[in-house]
Amino acid sequence: MRMLIGFEVHQQMATERKLYCDCPTNYQDVPPNTNVCPICTGMPGSKPMPPNEQAVNAAIEIALMLGCEIIVDKSIYIQRKHYDYPDLPSGYQRTSLPIGLNGELQGVRIREVHIEEDPGQYDPTAGTVDFNRSGVPLVEIVTEPDMHSPEEARKFLRQLVRVLEYSGRVRPEAGGAMRTDTNISLEGGGRVEVKNINSVKGAYRAIKFELMRQKAKLDRGESVTRETRAFLESQKITVPMRVKELEEDYRYIPDPDIFPLVIDSARVESISAEMFEAPHLRERRLVEQYGIDPAAASVMVSERELADFFEAVAKEIDPKLAATWFRTKLKKVLNYMKLSAADVNFTPNQIVSLLRMVDKGEITPEQGELILRELFKHPSDPRKLSRKLGLKRLKPAELRAAIAKVIRANPRAVKDYRAGKEEALNFLAGKVMGLTRGRADPREIVKLLSAKIMGRK
Amino acid sequence: MDEVTRAKLKAIKSRKLSPVENVQQAQERIAKLNKKINAFIELNPDALAQAEALERKIKRGGKTGKLAGLTIGIKSNINVKGLRVTCASRTLEDYVSTHDAEVIKRIRAADGIIVGMNNMDEFACGSSGETSAFGQTDNPAAPGHIPGGSSSGPAAAIASGMCDLCLGSDTGGSIRNPASHCGVIGVKPTYGLVPRQGLIDLAMSLDQIGPFSPDVYGAALLLEGIAGRNPNECVTLDVEKISYIDKLDAGIKGMRIGTSPKFRELTDPKVMSVIDGAIGKLRDLGAEVVEVELPHLEKGLPAYYLIMSVEFFSATRKFDGRKYGKRIEDVCGDEVLRRILRGRYISRKEYRGKYYQRALQVRTLIREELMAALDKVDVIVGPTVPKLPHKMGEKISVSAMYVYDYLTIPTNLAGICGGVIKAGEVGGIPVGLQVQGKALDEGEVLRTLRAFEAIL
Repeated sequence: MRMLIGFEVHQQMATERKLYCDCPTNYQDVPPNTNVCPICTGMPGSKPMPPNEQAVNAAIEIALMLGCEIIVDKSIYIQRKHYDYPDLPSGYQRTSLPIGLNGELQGVRIREVHIEEDPGQYDPTAGTVDFNRSGVPLVEIVTEPDMHSPEEARKFLRQLVRVLEYSGRVRPEAGGAMRTDTNISLEGGGRVEVKNINSVKGAYRAIKFELMRQKAKLDRGESVTRETRAFLESQKITVPMRVKELEEDYRYIPDPDIFPLVIDSARVESISAEMFEAPHLRERRLVEQYGIDPAAASVMVSERELADFFEAVAKEIDPKLAATWFRTKLKKVLNYMKLSAADVNFTPNQIVSLLRMVDKGEITPEQGELILRELFKHPSDPRKLSRKLGLKRLKPAELRAAIAKVIRANPRAVKDYRAGKEEALNFLAGKVMGLTRGRADPREIVKLLSAKIMGRK
Repeated sequence: MDEVTRAKLKAIKSRKLSPVENVQQAQERIAKLNKKINAFIELNPDALAQAEALERKIKRGGKTGKLAGLTIGIKSNINVKGLRVTCASRTLEDYVSTHDAEVIKRIRAADGIIVGMNNMDEFACGSSGETSAFGQTDNPAAPGHIPGGSSSGPAAAIASGMCDLCLGSDTGGSIRNPASHCGVIGVKPTYGLVPRQGLIDLAMSLDQIGPFSPDVYGAALLLEGIAGRNPNECVTLDVEKISYIDKLDAGIKGMRIGTSPKFRELTDPKVMSVIDGAIGKLRDLGAEVVEVELPHLEKGLPAYYLIMSVEFFSATRKFDGRKYGKRIEDVCGDEVLRRILRGRYISRKEYRGKYYQRALQVRTLIREELMAALDKVDVIVGPTVPKLPHKMGEKISVSAMYVYDYLTIPTNLAGICGGVIKAGEVGGIPVGLQVQGKALDEGEVLRTLRAFEAIL
């Protein structure tokens, strides 16, 4: 049964000021109703200030990253979308006509990109509204229904999140910064819109649920009617929204208090020249330019800062070695320390000299990892850190001496190994590692041990 | 006619009259007359203190603004911090403003003293001053008759000398209509010339704040004080400093003045004969009077009521009962409700393109027509209101009420400027001459009004 999935994704843009007034946007960091003024609380008589240019530029940039054509030299009207809800201080939300049209990301067509203002935050239990968020600029991205399975939809959303984060123009995805409305339909059924989804995971679950629900209905010979449903995050199900909410007519009118936006081509060009390369394009380039494999390139571009770091390192040293290190060791340490690439405070040069030490066999890869961990805590020259940690690699003679000592001290294990017990070799290797305090390469220890015991050279 | 504002300013400057005395006189007059006229619905308790502060500044020899010491009344739809800005509606009867409108900031900066908030038709929805939730306003120039609306309070306050100047707002004639009925000067500036930040909406694409004054000089002075670009709002014209006073007395010799046969078609002959007399006087002053064609003028009225209703519906959504105590539909008067319901109806999705869009097309037509006429002449003159004001308490139909706006609406639809001066009387009731000018031609309009004033 063919399935069609499309998204309307709302994401807050990272501007210092709100869209139509000068209030700051850090609504989560301040007490309720302190980042407010007559404009963003819709006091009688207040008029919007001219739209925040930073926000408009950010939306243009995002539209460009998604491959959209920007609407140039034409009036882009800001419309009033009327509905009645406690978080909406004026009884309407301002939403622009498209800024960009006809984009594409991962084979999914992007229908349009436009800007909106965020409403306040309503707490139905307490019956209170906090208007700190009211007027924070949003970008809305509307796709065509080009995804056909929950997995495909999830993959697209992840990619979209990556593009948005990459642009540096959206607020980090926390506290409901991203909101998604999802359209889902099965062949032979009506289109169902699911609202109230706040994460990629939530979207995936909502789509899976809808797939089962709609399929079961159609299998039973019932019809799936066109409706709007709400996703209940806690129960991972969707429920019909109240009829009243569905019958809403937004009575759009162009806002008479705002001149339409007009974007000229010079503005688009200057944004285009300054903006970051989109991750999906960068991934392709990394493969071609550095000869690394696509899986590694995909990891590199998962964060813009990681890819920047990689490229700085790859210019100085074998890119493949760098890629392997970034994928395994660096990512591992980042995950372990719960950090993102943006938090890295050592320099690409320090990584380069670390990798050179590994490359020349001065230290083992394991020692390299220890130094890497230390680098996160105390950024400095890796050679100094190596000395500080006492991580000089053993001389071959020292290693041979340690191996001989261990063989002499553990005749029983040696015998077992000779008798074919492979575990005995690991036991012995562990003893050698202990004796050399990790200053030797484990692979080399195993190799030398085995050769010595079995009498091979 | 006496130039009372010019004389008053001179007296204050020469210290014959102190700001405190001026405020006291205004307060005394309001106390004496307001009970009957009902031009003010809220007084500024700090007015005297502000006058005292100004007086200290004058005594120290400090520099004072161009409105120094003048008493000013403000229509109740313009935000004045700390005062109740009710729009003469139960909806906002408890709304104490938290912010000064941009025009109020400018008045304060020019040392004008706000004495109180004027009565008006509820949410500026009316042409008679009768729809106020705080009681109707009487016409001091023709007692027992309506003062016109919706800026009924400002016009009546000036006509009865309660204060020196007033601010009103004009969406379809709300300054010019009561100015005409009360025999005072009223000016509706070019759309976008005077900041609207802080003006509570009737119809955003038409609303404009403007001055009321007993003389042309006062209107020009107050307009100078409030006009000019405001970077803190979107729809503002790129105009910096302007002076109207300089050329106020330049006369109208050689000026081309247009008038339209359409005016006669739409106007009560008694009113028209007063206007004809006034136009004759303008000709005597050396102006060249020519006819211009305004064939679609009357189509402005239905277009206006559609556009205004849709915008008013949108503007009133914030009065949802959650923030200001009362939901507008629950407590407002008939005319406000009528406009909200009309706006709600015609903005429905299925009527898109049928009403609102068509009305916008008519608006374009009217604008082009007026622009074309004003290409041939410097100003267009004619009657302000096509008929005389009815008696207070007399019931007239909704459509008869709307007819009051026939001749003032086109100015708003075109976004141009217009001013009114008393041309004469019919049976003791004032009749106003309307002078319309091109966008940003307030100087020409004021000069014409002044030339006429000088020979009265």
